Amino acid sequence: MKLLFLLKEGFAGFRRARLAVTIALATITLSLALLGLFGLVAQNLSDSFQRVFYQIRLEVFVDPSLSESDFQTLKSEIERIEAVQSAEYISPGAALQEFEKDFGKDLVAVLESNPLPPSFRVLLKTGHSRPEAIQAVVRRIEALKAVDEVVYPENLIRLLDKYFLLGILIAVGLGTAIFAISTLLIFNTIRLAIHSRQRVIEIMRLVGATDAFIKAPFIFEGILQGLIGGLLAAGLLWLAGDLVRYLFLPGLSVPWLYLAGLVAVGVLLGCIGSYLSVGKYLNA
Amino acid sequence: MIELFNVSVKIDNRPVLNDISLQITKGEFVYLIGKTGAGKTTLMRLIYMDLFPGKGNVIVDRHSSSTIRRKEIPFLRRKVGVVFQDFKLLPDRTVFDNVAFALQVIGSPKRTIRARALSVLTRVGLNHKRYQMPHHLSGGEQQRAAIARALVNEPFILLADEPTGNLDPQVSTEILALLESINRSGTAVLMATHNYGLIRQFPHRTLLVENGKITAGEAPYSKT
Repeated sequence: MKLLFLLKEGFAGFRRARLAVTIALATITLSLALLGLFGLVAQNLSDSFQRVFYQIRLEVFVDPSLSESDFQTLKSEIERIEAVQSAEYISPGAALQEFEKDFGKDLVAVLESNPLPPSFRVLLKTGHSRPEAIQAVVRRIEALKAVDEVVYPENLIRLLDKYFLLGILIAVGLGTAIFAISTLLIFNTIRLAIHSRQRVIEIMRLVGATDAFIKAPFIFEGILQGLIGGLLAAGLLWLAGDLVRYLFLPGLSVPWLYLAGLVAVGVLLGCIGSYLSVGKYLNA
Repeated sequence: MIELFNVSVKIDNRPVLNDISLQITKGEFVYLIGKTGAGKTTLMRLIYMDLFPGKGNVIVDRHSSSTIRRKEIPFLRRKVGVVFQDFKLLPDRTVFDNVAFALQVIGSPKRTIRARALSVLTRVGLNHKRYQMPHHLSGGEQQRAAIARALVNEPFILLADEPTGNLDPQVSTEILALLESINRSGTAVLMATHNYGLIRQFPHRTLLVENGKITAGEAPYSKT
């Protein structure tokens, strides 16, 4: 009976304070969508950043006149360098295929021969991404016999390295501010929704309802608002993600787990917000 | 049953009640008179422990304001019915639901709720309007509904804070007749009022709250 009554009261709250609850839902949805949008942008930027920065890739061009066994020896020598994770041999033929795949041009038809030299694609271990550390590896590879040239996005890495800390600070600051604003907005709208029914709380206290019994329907209602707001925000982000992916960024990722996390944040904020707000009236 | 020992209360640093002592015995009917702001409502709040004295002690049915724990207060309030001048009914529920609400929020079984709500609505003469919303009722009927809600837990005392303040004289007399009948069945009544005509019509022990003190009072004849 008690649980049924509490659940019924929680659902009935939606019907009884329709305007306040609608405003609360809209605010929760928009706040969570804003928070989610920031998280998605930050996550996708961080992914792209990691692709460039966290695992550095070097292209090592070598003398085309080397024999098969020389390539094997060179590969072993490169892989013996401590910071190197792997070295993959790319034959001129394979390089040509990649070029044609990326640029869609038939090089041989234009130049009548394949101009691309053999190379090794060298992947550094994670953590070896500071410009000085990369330079040290590059110098060691260049010192090896038969290596012609080592190419990597040096300028981009120097730029990222320079602004890495600043970027993290800005992202954390912005993220914290957006989270704080969203939380305050959600708490405030829930408080207003509860305020609109303070007479119910007053009467419940007057007729001898325990604090837990008074709180329960409001907390349930807060959880429900957080859940619905979270689901709507997740739906909005999913749709927006789909649209952006289709129109501009095919590589954009909107992971399901992330959207589920957003719903969980909504539920948590709804629960805490209503707990604090109704508690305030009980302590008044 | 209700005893106040040397109770002093300040609200916002303003002394409202000063060193008052009082006793209300089982089944008694007591009027509380005094000017607006004299401390009548404060005295009632002390009894249902919505307010605690700065000095002194309030005893209500073995609960002491000095020792009662917060979680015990709801159980005290189930034994004390309260009605107000503005009825304090929930406007989005029927009369029946308003009355039943008082039992639902203390976790009573469904069958008990229905039986007791119907019984108390019959007692206050409102059973035929049990499915109406409060705004469809007259002032007197709304006060009857509020009284029914206060009575449904079978309290030992009914605190009525100016229950006829918003009602016309005829309806006020009817409400007081209802309170009298409730009192005859054993429930004590403490009623704050400015309506001295009613006190003369239904005479009972009368207390005057004035200048922070409580004395035995009498309804003045200058007002009706």
